[in-house]
Amino acid sequence: MAKKLPLKQRYAALTRDVHWEPSYVDPEKVFPYTSFEGIKIHDWSKWEDPFRLTVDAYHKYQAEKDKRLYAVLDGFAQSQGHLTLSDARYLNAMKLFIQGVTPLEYAAHRHFAFLARYLNGAGPRFAALCQSIDELRHTQTEIHTLSIYNKYYPGFHNWNRMHDRVWYLSVPKSFFDDAISAGPFEFLIAISFSFEYLLTNLLFVPFMSGASFNGDLPSMTFGFSAQSDESRHMTLGLEAIKFLLEQDEGNVPIIQDWIDKWFWRGYRVAALVAAMTDYMLPKKFMSWKEAFELYFEEQMLGGLFPDLAFYGIKPPRHVEHAIGEKDILSHQVYWVLYQFSFAASFTTTVPEPYELDWLSSQYPDTFDRFYRPLWDKARKIQENGGRFFFKGLPQLCQTCQIPMAFTEPGDPTTICQRHTVYNGERFDFCSDGCQWVFEREPEKYVQAWMPVHQIYQGNCGGPSVPEVLAWYGIQEGDNGEYLGSVEHTNWQRWHATAPVGS
Amino acid sequence: MPVRAITDTYVFPSSSRQELYGDDQLVHVLWRGNMTLCAAACFRAPKAMTWSAFLTEMVEPWAGSDPDYVPGSARDWVLDGRPFTPEPDRTLAELGVGHKSLIEFWV
Amino acid sequence: MTATPAQQRPRTVGVDLQQNSEDTRAIVAAIERDNPEAVVRHMPGLVKIQTPGRLVVRRETVEELLGRPWETHEFQLAIVTYYGHVDEWDDDEIVIKWSH
Repeated sequence: MAKKLPLKQRYAALTRDVHWEPSYVDPEKVFPYTSFEGIKIHDWSKWEDPFRLTVDAYHKYQAEKDKRLYAVLDGFAQSQGHLTLSDARYLNAMKLFIQGVTPLEYAAHRHFAFLARYLNGAGPRFAALCQSIDELRHTQTEIHTLSIYNKYYPGFHNWNRMHDRVWYLSVPKSFFDDAISAGPFEFLIAISFSFEYLLTNLLFVPFMSGASFNGDLPSMTFGFSAQSDESRHMTLGLEAIKFLLEQDEGNVPIIQDWIDKWFWRGYRVAALVAAMTDYMLPKKFMSWKEAFELYFEEQMLGGLFPDLAFYGIKPPRHVEHAIGEKDILSHQVYWVLYQFSFAASFTTTVPEPYELDWLSSQYPDTFDRFYRPLWDKARKIQENGGRFFFKGLPQLCQTCQIPMAFTEPGDPTTICQRHTVYNGERFDFCSDGCQWVFEREPEKYVQAWMPVHQIYQGNCGGPSVPEVLAWYGIQEGDNGEYLGSVEHTNWQRWHATAPVGS
Repeated sequence: MPVRAITDTYVFPSSSRQELYGDDQLVHVLWRGNMTLCAAACFRAPKAMTWSAFLTEMVEPWAGSDPDYVPGSARDWVLDGRPFTPEPDRTLAELGVGHKSLIEFWV
Repeated sequence: MTATPAQQRPRTVGVDLQQNSEDTRAIVAAIERDNPEAVVRHMPGLVKIQTPGRLVVRRETVEELLGRPWETHEFQLAIVTYYGHVDEWDDDEIVIKWSH
């Protein structure tokens, strides 16, 4: 066998050298999507791929990652590992994950395949191709990993159908649909930069550490395995933004506008993660607030944005609202999930006393004052044989599609209400950020498939809750209160009959 | 700012426009000063529904999700940002409640 | 958990690595040796390394501590996330720093 070339030459030979310029077809026809957004690219060869990954190395290391993951899955399944989780209610977080995140991995797979065909330059095309394959791998490994739990616990079936139909899943779905229906450069800023580089750490890192802490080795392993690809994706995002900013000064305001939009869109989706991090992990590891300070404020606002200032890029618009919400976000969102879990494919319950105390310690300025009284009230209702649910459908934000539970900046007790009249119709928003996003492109967001509005139009199986749940694919036992649920009673039974010491 | 699209004409109807609800419309109701109910409710109500029917058939059963709600205690009504005195026998349309109007109250 | 580091300090870069194998242990030790100012935090399943200004992973140091040949591409089996800009990734070293 011939001696291996040094890494740089090998990368050039296997990536750049397989590119050719079209000679008998107009390049505009070969790459029809890279001009309408107003972005100007003068020299695609200036794109740098710092990982310099080649096809052979890619296959080799991805195969090794899968081998490691499947060894963990096999061991976990053989040893009845699900019985060693911290608690059955932990799995509600993973239900949200497979319903809300896994379908996004698949959507990303599809769209990066599109970019791998339609970007003009060989470097970014190859990076997009690798990412497309990565995302398919993530989809498959997540489905495979979580199928272990589907045998024993409700809520893990039908996740794909639910993603298309269920109210809270329209939050991540509409976010990604928004990105996919934009042009290729906006998609790169939306997903590769704003989501993967700026925000994805908040989803995967503390959350997967939390999985590890709660005995869920399979999820931790797929999470970190996926995240190791994510570091390449982050590089694609950072490279994309630097490349676009360096290519033409006219690109700078367009990019800034996209960063402003996509930071806020991504941040609102991350609200679900805030609730998972603080409330859905029975063993606590890191609060949303601490993760936000470490992975977003310190690393991104403190590290990345001073770097981008060189190009004239400022921190995202409305970022101060996000910082201002770090003490309240998770509490508001979990309170929504708690009162609507009759219509969800997961269960919720009042946090245990030790959890309330942990939340007090993590949120000394807000928890005891605003949120502990709500949980005390919910517990009292439960002790009297009831269960607090919101008996009706909520007003939704036209942009993020989350029930309008967010509050005025600086005032955690006043629900924020914003609206815009467009073409004679009123549209409602949860925040200045979502209103601003809508007003940039009202023609786009008036088309939003708003779950509550669709139910009322009769498009979701029928007018009653049972009819809508049936249309969602939610079955008896998937939803509602955790205490006394199928998973709770099974869990108690399995542990009551386990031999001492197991 | 218009959408930058690959086609010259980018025009689509709203998916929540009033005509999709026939003789009905969507109405939002927010209980101010209450943190138990996490958000305003959204109802589909006939434009010809009287205020008293709207209150007893829609608003109060929903507000009653909070066991502390006392029927009849809602006061200080606000319609689309303006103080408003609902008259029980008049219809929502007559009272000026429109599609996706926001009605707020205190107790 | 240790307390959140102060917000105001020199701009750092960093990597988070999986705490899953002998390989990672050697890589962490190599990073500590080549980056004397590195701050290492252990979290469940994870090792977080932060350094002021610049972080380097040298193949030779990793090989010495691992006792076997090691390709810089193998770093991809250990890395979970990073922040900073990947300034260099060749056969001998990986350098993460901010560009401006």
